[in-house]
Amino acid sequence: MGEPSRGGSDARALRTGSFSSIFNTVGVYAIAILFLALGAVLQLTGVIGNFLSPMNMLNIVDAVALVGIVAVGMAFVTYSGNFADMSVPTTMGFTGYICIELLRYGFGVALVGALAVGLLVGVLNGFVVGKFKANPIIWTLAVNYVTMGVIRLVWVNKQIYPDMVGSQQHAVSLFDGIYRLRFFNLIGLPLVILLVLVVLGQFVLTRTSFGVKLKLTGSSPRAARLSGIAVERVVMLSFVLASFTATIAGLAVTSLSRVGAWYNGAGYDFKAVTAIVIGGMTLAGGRGNIFGVLGGSLIIGILNNIMTLFGIGTFSQDMIRGAIFIIVVGTNALSLRRLGRDDA
Amino acid sequence: MSEPVSGCALEMRHVSKRFPGTIAVDDVSFEVRAGEVHALVGENGAGKSTLMKMLAGSFDDYTGEIAIGGQLALLHSPTLAKRHGIGMIYQELSLARPISITENLLAGRLPRRGPFLDKARARALAKELLASVGLDLDPSLPIEDISQHGAQLVEIAKVLGNKPTILVMDEPTSALSHEEVERLFCIIGDLKGRGIAIVYISHHLPEIFRIADRVTVMRDGKKIATTPVAEVSREEIVQMMVGRSVKEFYRREERSIGEVRFRVGGLSRLGFFHGVRFEARRGEILGICGLSGAGRTELAKVLTGLDRADEGSIELDGKPVRGSTMADFLEQGISYLTEDRKTEGLAVRLPVDDNVLSAIVDRLSLAGIFSKARGKPRVDRLIGELSIYPPDPSRTVGNLSGGNQQKVLLAKWLASEPKVLILDEPTRGVDIGAKMTIHASIEKLAREGCTVLLISSDLPELVGLCDRVMIMRKGHFIREMQYSECSEESLLLAANGDTGRGAACVDPEGRPHG
Repeated sequence: MGEPSRGGSDARALRTGSFSSIFNTVGVYAIAILFLALGAVLQLTGVIGNFLSPMNMLNIVDAVALVGIVAVGMAFVTYSGNFADMSVPTTMGFTGYICIELLRYGFGVALVGALAVGLLVGVLNGFVVGKFKANPIIWTLAVNYVTMGVIRLVWVNKQIYPDMVGSQQHAVSLFDGIYRLRFFNLIGLPLVILLVLVVLGQFVLTRTSFGVKLKLTGSSPRAARLSGIAVERVVMLSFVLASFTATIAGLAVTSLSRVGAWYNGAGYDFKAVTAIVIGGMTLAGGRGNIFGVLGGSLIIGILNNIMTLFGIGTFSQDMIRGAIFIIVVGTNALSLRRLGRDDA
Repeated sequence: MSEPVSGCALEMRHVSKRFPGTIAVDDVSFEVRAGEVHALVGENGAGKSTLMKMLAGSFDDYTGEIAIGGQLALLHSPTLAKRHGIGMIYQELSLARPISITENLLAGRLPRRGPFLDKARARALAKELLASVGLDLDPSLPIEDISQHGAQLVEIAKVLGNKPTILVMDEPTSALSHEEVERLFCIIGDLKGRGIAIVYISHHLPEIFRIADRVTVMRDGKKIATTPVAEVSREEIVQMMVGRSVKEFYRREERSIGEVRFRVGGLSRLGFFHGVRFEARRGEILGICGLSGAGRTELAKVLTGLDRADEGSIELDGKPVRGSTMADFLEQGISYLTEDRKTEGLAVRLPVDDNVLSAIVDRLSLAGIFSKARGKPRVDRLIGELSIYPPDPSRTVGNLSGGNQQKVLLAKWLASEPKVLILDEPTRGVDIGAKMTIHASIEKLAREGCTVLLISSDLPELVGLCDRVMIMRKGHFIREMQYSECSEESLLLAANGDTGRGAACVDPEGRPHG
């Protein structure tokens, strides 16, 4: 039976406004500025101290850099329609261990070794999810726990320290510098890496053939397949990118704490996903951009900072972040459903 | 056939249903008597399904009156329809496969004792329902453990459980084997005997002559005639379904047909089609005609590299097609327009230009850098050529009308500049304006030397566009017809298994395999 052509499409398009526009890129930065203003007001009214101090601003930026690095890579997974890479926390921890262990052979070897191991995790995730259509959340969650088990087994449940493993003092100081190196005594290396990754990521997402294929895959994997796109390969590459940036963040965190520990990356999975969805990338895939993800990371960083200055405990912070995640995803889904597209 | 005296179980008087831009059902009056099997026939888009959806309570804005058992009834929701004793049996089963027959049969009305399920009574009720369709199965079996045929009967039993007085069956035999169809017909006879009014929709005319008492023919949303089956021939029904001679409507411009471009030899995919062999030339539009389930789409998916053949060869310009993936086939110039526009054809959340360029991303990229600008002239030209409305490349495809979405899908494959374009139902569900545009575009493509394979259930489309039509039936190419021999009547009769013209034999096996 013929399905008749429907009118009224324009009315639908008009209603796209209100809710979902909050989550566009400009809106995200507006919210970030709003949060900064909130912090300022709280300080001026004497509720919290020190929010506006240069030291605290630097703290915010450093924290944003770590979450942001993870989020930029993971955003490719979200964009591909595969939600999130939950193996990020132990990938961060694991590559930290690898790097410290390899420091005895020099900093370069350690760096390359850690990156290779990280990429291997990404290839594994991407292969299984892309080729065998495994549920991405369940699969990467399983990888997260298996990797954690491997770490605790291999290193007999011990943390390791850069100074312990070798006499390569030069390599150790280079390793310490990953987090501590500051240009002009101000801009930290992680922030520089983040900004480079954001620009590169945005370029890859919008200007390369891979980015275009990723958009098609995230929007409609079946249509992408029937357009002759190797969907499996595209999905695989998105997971590889997620693991790549997780490895970088893992090395930075390990450098920061000067210790290889399996819990080094704990919480980064959820912080990153929250930054991604706040940044306007819907869990349905194919929507949003990397600049938005940077804005989302900024919001998460400022919010964490305010909460900490406020004296809110870690557990309560988790609760608040969870609630924000639910609200963002929920309103996003609702506004799309109201448009008659049940695809959030 | 017996003439029941019990009057009309269902009467639809002057009912109409319009959608924006079209009238799907136009002032139709239709009645079914108790204990009668009333066949409803018509081409795709004739309005049969809309008429039946009206009965199922899918619309709350139809006009006209519906009387059930002599009483006026408002069928504005599926619940109301069910309450008025209307049961629908669709082609696709509505059963949940992993759960038991009992739970499927009694879904929503499982007997209880206090807060608990009354298992013994549920089982007894299920047994009783199964017996009513002649099944003797253990009702605790999950649906996935019984045969397709069994599942179809369980489906019927489930609908019977609601004690319908009117039963609508939409192509109920499309998934059944010969013996199973015979059993279904027995059950239908039994239901008749119990005074149930049955509306039977089928494209398979022989079935209608087997079991129906009367037949109503629809065309273009209107009722053409209702007549006792005994007083009508197969040719007369086809004539009524088709109405006019299409050849008058299509003005053909001469096309020059060149050398052989596409050659398929002994191609088989076991269980779907066997020994398919044909040649198609440059500039030729070759039609593939067959009833649903004849294996047309399965064939198309192999010809485009989406599925693998079990045996046989595919040659393009005298050389075997290289590679095994759709990307390989696409690169060599074979494009495929899927019949499933919304889930396989288009990314409906993306804008027009992204969709039009989606099959040529690599061709528009240099060293991995994609240039949308390089594709823009192509997008603009195609939007103009196909008069896609609104002519805005940044418009989200999901917000376009069905006809314009279909044009975007065609534009996507025209953008790939194919040597061989395989079209699977290129105008299904589109309005007449879009259809004319798409047809003009297909003809233009052929004039430019492209080989077009046109798979369609739309007979006027096949007759109007094709230079030759291959008739596919039960997975085999059974006949080839030149343009001069093609008419809607001859195609429909051939697809139903008539081997020569005018041979009006009633073939009880007039069905394809699933």
